Amino acid sequence: MKKACLFALLALTAAGTLFAQGGKESSSSSAAATTAKPVTLRVSWWGGDSRHTPTLKAFDLYHEKNPNVTVSGEYQGWDGYYQKIVTQLAGGTAPDIMQIDQPWLFELCSQGDVFADLSKEDLSQFDAKFLQSMCSYDGKVMGLPTGTNANTFLVDVELLKKSGIDPNTKWTWENIVTEGKKVHEANPDCYFEAGTPDHIRFWFELYMAQLAGCVVKSDKTLAFNRDQAIQAFKYFKSWWDNGVSAPLSKTSLFYQKFDDDPDWVTGKVAAAWTWVSALGKNIGSRQNMETRQFPVMAGAVNTGVLVRPSQIFVVNNNSKNKAEALKLLNFLFYDQEAIKILGTARGIPSTTIGRELLAKEGKIDKLSEVGTNEGVAQGGDAQSIWQMNSQVIQVMQDVIDQFGYGKLTAEQAADTLIANLNATLAAL
Amino acid sequence: MKRHKDYQYAGYLYILPWIIGFLSLQLIPLINSFAYSFTNLQLLGTRRFIGLENYAKLFKDPLFWQSMKVTFLYVLMAVPCKVGFALLIAIILNQNLKGINLFRTLYYLPSILGGSVAISVLWRYLFMDNGILNNILSFLHLPTHSWLGDPRLALPTIGLVTVWQFGSSMLIFLAGLKQIPTVLYEAAELDGSGKLRTFWSITLPSLSPIVLFNLIMQMINAFQEFTPAFVITQGGPLNSTYLYGLLLYNQGFKFFKMGYASALSWILFAIILAFTGLTFFSSQSWVHYGDNV
Repeated sequence: MKKACLFALLALTAAGTLFAQGGKESSSSSAAATTAKPVTLRVSWWGGDSRHTPTLKAFDLYHEKNPNVTVSGEYQGWDGYYQKIVTQLAGGTAPDIMQIDQPWLFELCSQGDVFADLSKEDLSQFDAKFLQSMCSYDGKVMGLPTGTNANTFLVDVELLKKSGIDPNTKWTWENIVTEGKKVHEANPDCYFEAGTPDHIRFWFELYMAQLAGCVVKSDKTLAFNRDQAIQAFKYFKSWWDNGVSAPLSKTSLFYQKFDDDPDWVTGKVAAAWTWVSALGKNIGSRQNMETRQFPVMAGAVNTGVLVRPSQIFVVNNNSKNKAEALKLLNFLFYDQEAIKILGTARGIPSTTIGRELLAKEGKIDKLSEVGTNEGVAQGGDAQSIWQMNSQVIQVMQDVIDQFGYGKLTAEQAADTLIANLNATLAAL
Repeated sequence: MKRHKDYQYAGYLYILPWIIGFLSLQLIPLINSFAYSFTNLQLLGTRRFIGLENYAKLFKDPLFWQSMKVTFLYVLMAVPCKVGFALLIAIILNQNLKGINLFRTLYYLPSILGGSVAISVLWRYLFMDNGILNNILSFLHLPTHSWLGDPRLALPTIGLVTVWQFGSSMLIFLAGLKQIPTVLYEAAELDGSGKLRTFWSITLPSLSPIVLFNLIMQMINAFQEFTPAFVITQGGPLNSTYLYGLLLYNQGFKFFKMGYASALSWILFAIILAFTGLTFFSSQSWVHYGDNV
């Protein structure tokens, strides 16, 4: 009797599992045919509240218009997002639509057919050159750019004025030091640039781009020589020597999140290198923030100012709801209401219709518009896939950290950088 | 006979959830990771058998040695401090004082919070440059310091997280203290033994099996420490808090070298096994079990 009961229980459990599976199968396979069947789409992205809120609102609207489709957002901050996506892709649990950063596209696509080929879709609203150079792999369009993003130089006009600096200064590499140091001189708690270790690296890459063209060329070789590296390291030493940015011991805790630093939040830091798409999050509750153009040295080969898609939306190649996912993307990119709701949450839209509509509605905030225009006007060459490689970035960061902590002289830093970059590139 | 068989089946059914969990979440991944450690597996890519190449490579990796150094320093600092502190507090809380239960609860509180991310975030705010600690120090006109920005101080500072969570060790010590027969203390008192002498000759030897247990458990945990280094300092400054767990994570999930990371994890396993074995071996000379007191 007992045995019979047990068997029945086991059989029931097994049957339950089977039915559950069967149910899932049938709903997904027929979803493509008849749209009336309920579908749940998973979409993941990183960002701050200024991005989360409008995105979720747009999903609500989509659900209203397509009651059978429920879109669930999986959103978080920047920290750990890439790791999560890669793990999900490897484990086969990735969302149907993912927001990825442009530098990841090559790294991910080179590992296999992880994303759906979008070349056959109607892409007339996008700039063909932009799609081809920034969103393609192996000649196929792998993702759609959410917006046009550019480097920008964010400054606090009031703090500059208070420190005796003309807020309309046209910045050069020299006056960043000669003028910038006045902020710290006027108030020892204040600094000119945020100066987190990653910021110093961004500035270093910018400086190198102007001096030597870039750091790592697309043929996997270094673009700079020892003397140029020494010159760059010496230049950034002058930042710390003059109090242009705080010492690394003070800023290292805010690696990759300078806008978390209480000094930044409370307005003790006057300026920061950043991306236009991050302006909303960077500024937070700060006032009197404006964007400026970057310094460009005389005879620069390349301005080093980066212009690229804010992010890229890709469709999971293993998604069971590819057709539905594409419909949702169509909605997000082309639907007038959706465009208005999303606004500039992901930078200035990369579609013609998006830009025109938001401009007409006055929904493009002045700061993003000016920042993007200035950035595009200054835009330099795109970085090579090798310079964007996470291990190469780590090598640059490590050497800059050691130099910043005074463990290496400019000469030693240059030698270490060259040796370690070459070794890492050879192993890639 | 039949009844006996039925009984067995039912038992398996009851532990089935655990067995499924153990197989799918522990044993199979364990075997997999061992197999992966001999391949060049990239998280999304193909894999190829490369024999002992990963193991050969890691011994030449300066970051491996750096994280080794940091991890051993961490274990040497955190484990004795934590166990010692837990013992000290347990002895104090073993007194018959009024409201002692409240204090026992209070001291256990940090351990409930666990090695969580929230605690690590709290630590950042406590110890960062304009954090709570420095604000208190400057209010008292004491010199402030860059606790987490100074490569020499960052590791001890994050080590405090684990020392602070001494509650579970303390509880076990407390239980152990209650087990020591009062006869022994009475005899010592009759013989005119002082407090310190009593502690040294009676309390400590009687507690030694528990000291051994706590030491081993804490050592195993400390070798695998990850959260504070990941959340508070990300291994910095200058890799001074680059714990082995962080190296493992970065290789696996930042650079996606799963094969290499698997090799790293098996090295860590071997190290923990060796040190646990050593501690057990040494215990013969300092642990006293009740039967030979």
